[in-house]
Amino acid sequence: MPFVDDGFEALLEPFYNGKKLTDPISTKEDKFQLLPAFLKVKGLVKQHIDSYNFFVEHEIKEIVRANRTIRSDVDSNFWLEFRDIRVLRPRRQDHADIKTRKEVSPMECRLRDMTYAAPIEVDIVYIRDKQKISRKNVPLGRMPVMLKSSRCWLSGATNAQMESMNECPLDPGGYFIINGTEKVILIQEQLSKNRVIVEADEKNNIITASCTSSTHERKSKTSVTLKKDKITLVHNVLVENIPIVIVLKAMGGLSDYEIMQLVAGSDGRYQDEFVINFDEATRVGVFTQQQALEYIGARVKMGSKRGQFGPMPRRNNIEDGLDALSNLVVAHVPIEGLDFYPKAIYLAMMTRKVLMASQNTKLVDDRDFVGNKRLELAGQLLSLLFEDHFKRFMGEVKLSIDKFLKKHNRGVALDAVQMVSNHANTIGMGINRAIQTGNWTVKRFNMNRAGVTHVLSRLSYISALGMMTRISSQFEKTRKVSGPRALQPSQWGMLCTSDTPEGEACGLVKNLALMTHITTNVEEEPVKRWVFTLDAGVEPIRNFSGAEMHREGNFMIHINGTPFALTRYPKRFAHKFRTMRRRGWISPFVSININTHFNAVHIATDEGRICRPYIIVKNGQQKLKPEHLRLLQMGRATFDDFLRKGVVEYLDVNEENDALITIYEDQITQSTTHLEIEPFTILGAVAGLIPFPHHNQSPRNTYQCAMGKQAIGAIAYNQFNRIDTLLYTLVYPQRPMVISKTIQLVHYDKLPAGQNATVVVMSYSGYDIEDALVLNKASIDRGFGRCQVFRKYATELIKLPNGKKDRMGNPDYTLEKHAILDVDGLATVGYQVKSGEVMVKKETPEDQTSTGIGLDRGSNMFRDASISYRIPDPAYIDKVMLSRTEKDSMVVKVQTRQTRRPELGDKFSSRHGQKGVVGIIVDQEDMPFADSGVTPDIIMNPHGFPSRMTVGKLLECLTGKASIVHGRPDYGFGDAFRSHPLEEMSKVLVDHGFSWEGKDYFTSGITGEPLEAYIFNGPIYYQRLKHMVQDKMHSRAHGPMAILTRQPTEGRSRDGGLRLGEMERDCLIAYGASQLLLERLMISSDGTEIDICQQCGLFGYKGYCHTCKSTREVAKMTMPYAAKLLVQELISMNVGVRLQLEDEFPHPKQV
Amino acid sequence: MDGMDYDPMAMDGDSEQPQVKISAVLQQADKTHVDFELSRTNLSFANSLRRVIQAEVPTIAIDLVEIEVNTSVLADEFIAHRLGLIPLDSKNVGDLNYSRDCDCEQYCEQCSVTLNLHAKCTSDDIMKVYASDLVTDGQHANSVGKPVINDPEGLGCLLAKLRMGQELRLTCIAKKGIAKEHAKWMPTSAVGFEYDPHNKLQHTDLWFENDTDPAKEWPKSKHAEWEDPPQEGEPFDYDAVPNRFYFEVEAAGNMEPDQIIQNGIRILQQKIGGLLKGLDPRKYGGEEEPDFDGPRSPDMNLDGSTTPWQDTGYQTAYGGGYGGGQTSYGGSQTSYGQGSQSSFGQDGQGSYGQGGGGSYGNMTAYGTTPYGQSSWQ
Repeated sequence: MPFVDDGFEALLEPFYNGKKLTDPISTKEDKFQLLPAFLKVKGLVKQHIDSYNFFVEHEIKEIVRANRTIRSDVDSNFWLEFRDIRVLRPRRQDHADIKTRKEVSPMECRLRDMTYAAPIEVDIVYIRDKQKISRKNVPLGRMPVMLKSSRCWLSGATNAQMESMNECPLDPGGYFIINGTEKVILIQEQLSKNRVIVEADEKNNIITASCTSSTHERKSKTSVTLKKDKITLVHNVLVENIPIVIVLKAMGGLSDYEIMQLVAGSDGRYQDEFVINFDEATRVGVFTQQQALEYIGARVKMGSKRGQFGPMPRRNNIEDGLDALSNLVVAHVPIEGLDFYPKAIYLAMMTRKVLMASQNTKLVDDRDFVGNKRLELAGQLLSLLFEDHFKRFMGEVKLSIDKFLKKHNRGVALDAVQMVSNHANTIGMGINRAIQTGNWTVKRFNMNRAGVTHVLSRLSYISALGMMTRISSQFEKTRKVSGPRALQPSQWGMLCTSDTPEGEACGLVKNLALMTHITTNVEEEPVKRWVFTLDAGVEPIRNFSGAEMHREGNFMIHINGTPFALTRYPKRFAHKFRTMRRRGWISPFVSININTHFNAVHIATDEGRICRPYIIVKNGQQKLKPEHLRLLQMGRATFDDFLRKGVVEYLDVNEENDALITIYEDQITQSTTHLEIEPFTILGAVAGLIPFPHHNQSPRNTYQCAMGKQAIGAIAYNQFNRIDTLLYTLVYPQRPMVISKTIQLVHYDKLPAGQNATVVVMSYSGYDIEDALVLNKASIDRGFGRCQVFRKYATELIKLPNGKKDRMGNPDYTLEKHAILDVDGLATVGYQVKSGEVMVKKETPEDQTSTGIGLDRGSNMFRDASISYRIPDPAYIDKVMLSRTEKDSMVVKVQTRQTRRPELGDKFSSRHGQKGVVGIIVDQEDMPFADSGVTPDIIMNPHGFPSRMTVGKLLECLTGKASIVHGRPDYGFGDAFRSHPLEEMSKVLVDHGFSWEGKDYFTSGITGEPLEAYIFNGPIYYQRLKHMVQDKMHSRAHGPMAILTRQPTEGRSRDGGLRLGEMERDCLIAYGASQLLLERLMISSDGTEIDICQQCGLFGYKGYCHTCKSTREVAKMTMPYAAKLLVQELISMNVGVRLQLEDEFPHPKQV
Repeated sequence: MDGMDYDPMAMDGDSEQPQVKISAVLQQADKTHVDFELSRTNLSFANSLRRVIQAEVPTIAIDLVEIEVNTSVLADEFIAHRLGLIPLDSKNVGDLNYSRDCDCEQYCEQCSVTLNLHAKCTSDDIMKVYASDLVTDGQHANSVGKPVINDPEGLGCLLAKLRMGQELRLTCIAKKGIAKEHAKWMPTSAVGFEYDPHNKLQHTDLWFENDTDPAKEWPKSKHAEWEDPPQEGEPFDYDAVPNRFYFEVEAAGNMEPDQIIQNGIRILQQKIGGLLKGLDPRKYGGEEEPDFDGPRSPDMNLDGSTTPWQDTGYQTAYGGGYGGGQTSYGGSQTSYGQGSQSSFGQDGQGSYGQGGGGSYGNMTAYGTTPYGQSSWQ
């Protein structure tokens, strides 16, 4: 393995507290070292990368193998076969083979608005002129490549290589670059496939066991329902519910007795409850398999008849029924040679579960249990998409081959390669489009999901990282259900307990915890073989009847939810299975657990299970020994070695239920099976930034998780090479004084987003109420909170279809707005742009449509289409980039830069969910100061503490202060559950002549008198949040109006007005300020002079009524334009509106 | 060491005058640091002195940067900001005018010091650009405006790092200003200020946890040794007022601490002088309408417009009066010495009034070229 510097080296080297090689190691203190070792092999976003790698290396080949041949309907001699498929490494699309450098780096794709994609190549064999032709390396479109995946140029790159590719070594990867934008495929949470879940509808007394079968061909849901004592089978293709006995009879070869045994075993209670179902079959006259199939076949939906080409021969009901049963009902249980027994067992098992649940409500499954969930990752989603596109592609190729072969007198022989390459691009384009739009449409599965992909948020390093670990749930956000949103006990260690958004998506969007791993698919077959070889007491389920299956003490072994074997010794079997797994004979990601309620042993090999490593404990002794850690320290072992040696193992959520896990070493007893590696890993990467989170009120941690993503800071080492739409960076970011292990593990200390401010907790000036902060002016002068804002302005010089092109115009220096343009029509780097000034002098041909043929020649003039700077505050031109896109048109990107110092109203926040705006900026000499002369950067109002209960903030302050006076950077860890003890910190403070409480004697800067109380002070890490006054402040006296309503426009970006809303209007009405109302709602808005004919009540025009053809009774009045519009719209809908006028104050003489 | 040539105890023996005593115990007086006791005065005076030291003692700092070439990774404003924060030698600030008081149009050697920087990295190694690479134009006889370098290597603050081929070429204009305007003009880094270390006056509440002794919980400050601890059972003196104040001045490096304090006192005097003159112009020597003449930073009013205080010809309130030593506040009677005794002394006094009558109303806005010049911001 090449040496890869991913930043974990440094963490692995000096042990905690700077331990040397000679220092003693205790497993208790140092076992956390497993964590960087784990992250080194697995990484924070390894789930995405693993999943993509699995897709590109295995799954894609499987898909092609499953659909490899094309046969022609016309010429039966013709066939075409795909022998192999490969995804190569990313290349330029516009590359010529002559050029040496074809490799494209991710950065080039970002800057040039290209897609980071690699060619797909296939090997095909086909018949041409009755000869077998084999062609290798036929291109088949392009596949977007996930960054840092095995196909990416960045995989395994050293720091120097990363740098030469202009890439940040700390970038997690795991996203795609589509047309220059970074796109993430979010992890999708779903209910597990191919598993039976029992649900109860308590209101209607319905119990349902349902199973979503998913095979390569189709997805379907089968459920067995108990309603009013009758058990029926429900499936989409069946028009009505079929009594379960009929279904079981249709499976063939089962007598009533056998059915009873299969479902109920010998348990009288179940038998009594089930027996009624036989009557159902009898009543409709179903006794034999034939009758049952006839019954089912008659109820198969006609629409399900597949076959697009031509009329299929009409089948009879029996065939329909047989087809439905074998292919559609619980489709994932394969039928081999019309042997329906496995499927019958499966359906009987579902029925039995329903019966059991009706007897004992505790046996109803919990849908929200994490073990019943599967996480769908990029690879799985892509394979769904690829399969769909590949099948469509095969259809298209077949169609065009058929078309060709139909021609009787074709000149040349059919060359299938031509056909393949003609359609090759559809696959890549389809995938491209799906990732770009986020619309996942798979017709076969009736899947139509929107919002699967998102643009990677590059607001800060943490926000990008947080996005990679985000899990979105398929639940509707609008539904007011608490279940799926609630914190699940089984979430422990798997999903972060704090990181979830507030509001509508609360609890539905989750984040992975630090050590979570998501499994990829492991082949079932080898595991099945192991099941029989492991233990002599295991027999295939096929050999048993229902009576034997359900006999007391017999355990059914399920593989991925399907009954497979039977054993009498489940514990012995599971133990042996685990031993083999720990020895590395079985994949570590295969889980086994015993369910005593259902007398079942479950073995799971499927993908998307959430799992997590634990240290194995045996006989009250943990397997992790100091020598293991020593090996790790010396770099002679990796995490995977420990996995192979049986020191650690992965447990998924279901297997966790079989284990007795202790958190701390000293709690190990004889019955303990596992030991937690580190308790703080129950939190995710984002929540891991919070110091002392275990001392905070829990919602505060959640708030910080949301705010940490808005903090301005360093984005990546390559931040100045990027040209993003909007990029914020802090001028002087600092590593937090109080850090956590997580901070080191996610490298937040290398790309921080905040500064250590000296905070004094006291009230000052009255401008600090409601969480406002007081800032020291001198601190701001010296660079506190100073940030840079970069903005992108991009345009493309397009070639029109008529051959004309956009061009760059010459600047006209007599115009003031062209002042900063260089002679090439582009802004000069380093110049200041003010509002209204032109940055790119682009010109478009006036003639967009003419064809240029014959006399159809448009004008040769050009119209100005320049890009100008529209923001009121000036900026500097930071970069100007010119390049060519894949479409061979020129792109111009201009980046502007602003440097902003904090001002009144800018938002700041500590790491404890305590946000506040700057309330006042105070001169340093007016600030309170300690006797040592220390002046604070920030004064925080103490009222922020009592109701929020953010004790963690106090501890951060004290710990930070202690580490400052002590001068030790390795001091002051604020990790959850393993933070530095407070007493130690207080002692350090006392040793250095400070009060143990962290309080100091402060003097008022204004009067020079000491403050009456001692003041709590110290460093607290403050984040500057992206919300800044400069981007928000807005006012208008007069300005643009909307076209339709002639009312003022809305929003700051359109220089809109501030709305006097309904409630404000109510106030004015109540107050009686009628003239003010009139002014606000009409005169200053959309008042218009209208002619109204008093005779007909309709609008006139210029004093003349068109309806009455007269000017006599036309009067003028002012009304809101919107009202006039309403009247006219109503008229257009055939609703007549007449306006009748009368004098409010009639002339006294006329009365 | 110049500026320290007076005997700490050899003040004139008038017991009515404020007295300065430099810590004999700690011998805390060196180039950057002084620890002294100010006594026989009241709290407001002592605090005023502290405030003036921090905010109103003029120093020199880079205020304008003309960037010719900047191919480093840092943005122009970034470098300009860093340059502004470099401490420049301000021992002879008195030689310079405030830019706004000067006769020149934008800046000249009377009111500014020009520093140049040209650095280009030509090797594979990362080149570090230090404050010591700034070169003054040499138009000033003394060291005014030279970057302060205190580190043993003689490099000064790190400004930027350059990689192969990156270049930095710029001209800095350092001007005189005060910290009220921007912290870069601050002569001090921290000013400690304390009185009554034993809390005999009970100005602060000795709150403490549990039943422990407050003395255990609250560490005594080092100045506690300078005063006698309260006697057991000593009755509380209701009439007591603080009169001994402990200062701990830490200079930023651009001026020596004693000079900072003495300049501070002078400025305080000038401020009071201005106030007195404003209250009663006839008595205290100003014939003109009292204008605001507090310290201003160079770039106030640089927008070229005329403000009321300009067209009167700008006569500082203390201008005429002070130069002659005829001020109302006691001339040579002050405890800080005879004026001429201090190192910065003599010529400093005359320079204030010289700008009088000078008009710079036609001054153009700085930054006429749209780029290349960045203000300190």
